[in-house]
Amino acid sequence: MSEDLERIKEARRAWEEGPLAKALKRFPYMDKDSCRFYTPLDIEPFDFLEKVGFPGTYPFTAGTFPIEPMAGLTRLASLAGGKGEIPGAGGQTRAAIYSGYGTPEDTRDYYKGLIEQGSRGGPNLAFDLPTQCGYDSDHPLAEGEVGKVGVCVDTLADFETIYEPYRGDLDLDRIASNFTINAPANVIIAMYAALAEKRGIPLEKLRATPQNDILKEYIARGTYIFPPRHALRLFRDSLVFITRHMPNVNITSIGGYHIREAGATREQDLAFSMAIAIEYLRVGVEAGLQVDEFAPRFTFNAFGGSMEMLKEIAFQRAARRMYARILKERFGARDERSMRIRQALGAHIGPSSTTLQRPLNNLTRAVIGAVASALSGGRPLPFPPYDEPLGLGWSVEALQLAQDAGRIIACEARLLEYADPFAGSYCMEALTDEIESSAWKELEKIEGMGGAVAAIENGYMQREIARSAYERQRAVERGERLVVGVNCFTGEHELEVTTNRLVPNPYDPERRERAEERQKARLAEIKSSRDSREVARLLRELKALAEREEENLLPHLVECVKAYVTEGEICDVLREVFGEYQAASPF
Amino acid sequence: MASRTEGKVIRVLIAKPGLDGHDQGAKVIAYGLKDEGFEVIYTGLRRTPEEIVNAAVDEDVDVIGLSILSGAHLSIVRRVMSLLEEKGVGEKMVLVGGLIPQEDIPKLKEMGVAEVFVSGTYISQVAEFIRSRLGDTG
Repeated sequence: MSEDLERIKEARRAWEEGPLAKALKRFPYMDKDSCRFYTPLDIEPFDFLEKVGFPGTYPFTAGTFPIEPMAGLTRLASLAGGKGEIPGAGGQTRAAIYSGYGTPEDTRDYYKGLIEQGSRGGPNLAFDLPTQCGYDSDHPLAEGEVGKVGVCVDTLADFETIYEPYRGDLDLDRIASNFTINAPANVIIAMYAALAEKRGIPLEKLRATPQNDILKEYIARGTYIFPPRHALRLFRDSLVFITRHMPNVNITSIGGYHIREAGATREQDLAFSMAIAIEYLRVGVEAGLQVDEFAPRFTFNAFGGSMEMLKEIAFQRAARRMYARILKERFGARDERSMRIRQALGAHIGPSSTTLQRPLNNLTRAVIGAVASALSGGRPLPFPPYDEPLGLGWSVEALQLAQDAGRIIACEARLLEYADPFAGSYCMEALTDEIESSAWKELEKIEGMGGAVAAIENGYMQREIARSAYERQRAVERGERLVVGVNCFTGEHELEVTTNRLVPNPYDPERRERAEERQKARLAEIKSSRDSREVARLLRELKALAEREEENLLPHLVECVKAYVTEGEICDVLREVFGEYQAASPF
Repeated sequence: MASRTEGKVIRVLIAKPGLDGHDQGAKVIAYGLKDEGFEVIYTGLRRTPEEIVNAAVDEDVDVIGLSILSGAHLSIVRRVMSLLEEKGVGEKMVLVGGLIPQEDIPKLKEMGVAEVFVSGTYISQVAEFIRSRLGDTG
């Protein structure tokens, strides 16, 4: 230890025994950990270039990119010279909203409306649960669920309808689409490819992000179909197909935040997400590709999800560094683009931090998450809107307030003026190290079991997450984990501030209610008008191909969807060949 | 101990009807009620109302807890209640938990749901509610 550090150590001891001990005597309900102070002793040894580096360079602790694009919003807003509209700032302030409901016609009309209001981006499609689970709208398990949490898609005809408003300067080669779908992701990818082919648009011009992160579905979110090993084969097929034919399409959006929402701790979230990413990277390498050919097309889905602002900032930094190290050290990546965590949304509080009680407090909460994002190299986009716990679908006023809060953070508080402002902070560097090293430890445990798939098959990840969720609930009930308005500050003199959704969410409730019968009629019509012998032939061939592990199913899926084979029919054949996943008991 | 008046342990079925896969709440309540001394059976995901009612009958449970976050609660609960009637086990206590808009709670109660537990509920509140209705000797 250097002389300097010795002196600090000595001074710390004097401080602890003197002023700190004295203060703690005055506040007997506090201890040393109530308000900690970090010094150079907590981060020793500290090599700046190894631990932090410059924004947008290895190990990416200071940021994924050299400059956060939304930092330009302040300049653009000033250039507008006090005018209301800010030209060119639309895309920087407005993330495409996860949307879609009812039948494809309903969703098409919703997007038409958005385009008429000036929206220029592609759709960020939410699918209903039958579509996400590989059932057609006429399946008995789909009853009551068609068009509910997203739009229903049974055949290519549905995609053709949804994309009707996207022509001309909004055609498929001009926009980027987002598909929140996992187990049947390859069918949706095939539909997008088929739609492009029918419109004469080359596949290499398509831009899209399918979520295509099946492994987290077994441990969070739950829309799995097939056993994990077979699901991984389907993942391989899309990885290889996208790499060869659709170089501007992202392969996957790996979902840390879903894992956190399911109850994982910060460290579990990071370790499990990395274990899953490693599994996907291996799939690509084992398929014979160079890691730098496909890894730049991996994205992440909004890492984060807690109110603990400083730890969430540290988490973003730790996640970026850990992923970069995995790519460089374990997979030998050379291209820095392979090592980047790209995500549309940075730090945020996650829907599970919101409360039904005094819901406007959720705006305050979401802003704290957005501040954490701004201070850790992400966009300051408060998520979720404050009325999230009041029921599915955000109101327009909640969205406006969330968006404004982000603008206030950028333009008034100017939090984006400095990249990684906490770099070198004794506290922040120590927190970053702690989170990363705990996650490495947990990751090594999973690798010891054989990797993410093995840790899903034996139920380890599921049980660990459920246990953490239960622990969290118990901590709330015991008052160790404080939630304002829920388990503290709930006295009679508090005002239970409520809110009304003055402007309802833009989906037509009547259309949504009638979606199921309308879609079933539409599906029946498509089924009766297609070439049923061709459909039967294509499905037989699909079965034969599925039985041969080495075959890539995607080219054939494109043929299937072009003949209006349904998503459910395709998934049924694959269920027959692969079987269905049976979840392990949580007890 | 959580018991029926005759001294048997109260049996609870926690079920996830529909296709919604958000099962944190269901698992947490299953763990919690088990720790509270109930016997708990968890169905896992994607159960049809038929499967849930059959499981309730086969397992001879006293309480059925339905966890629903997808917005499909009205149609699912209606179906479960009518199946329970059909099977002649309409007396079983049905509880609903999840993302349930305030205005739907009276509708669910009209269908015969004993109580609806929304975000912010303590496990101990659910346990207390069950005990108060089914009796507790312990």
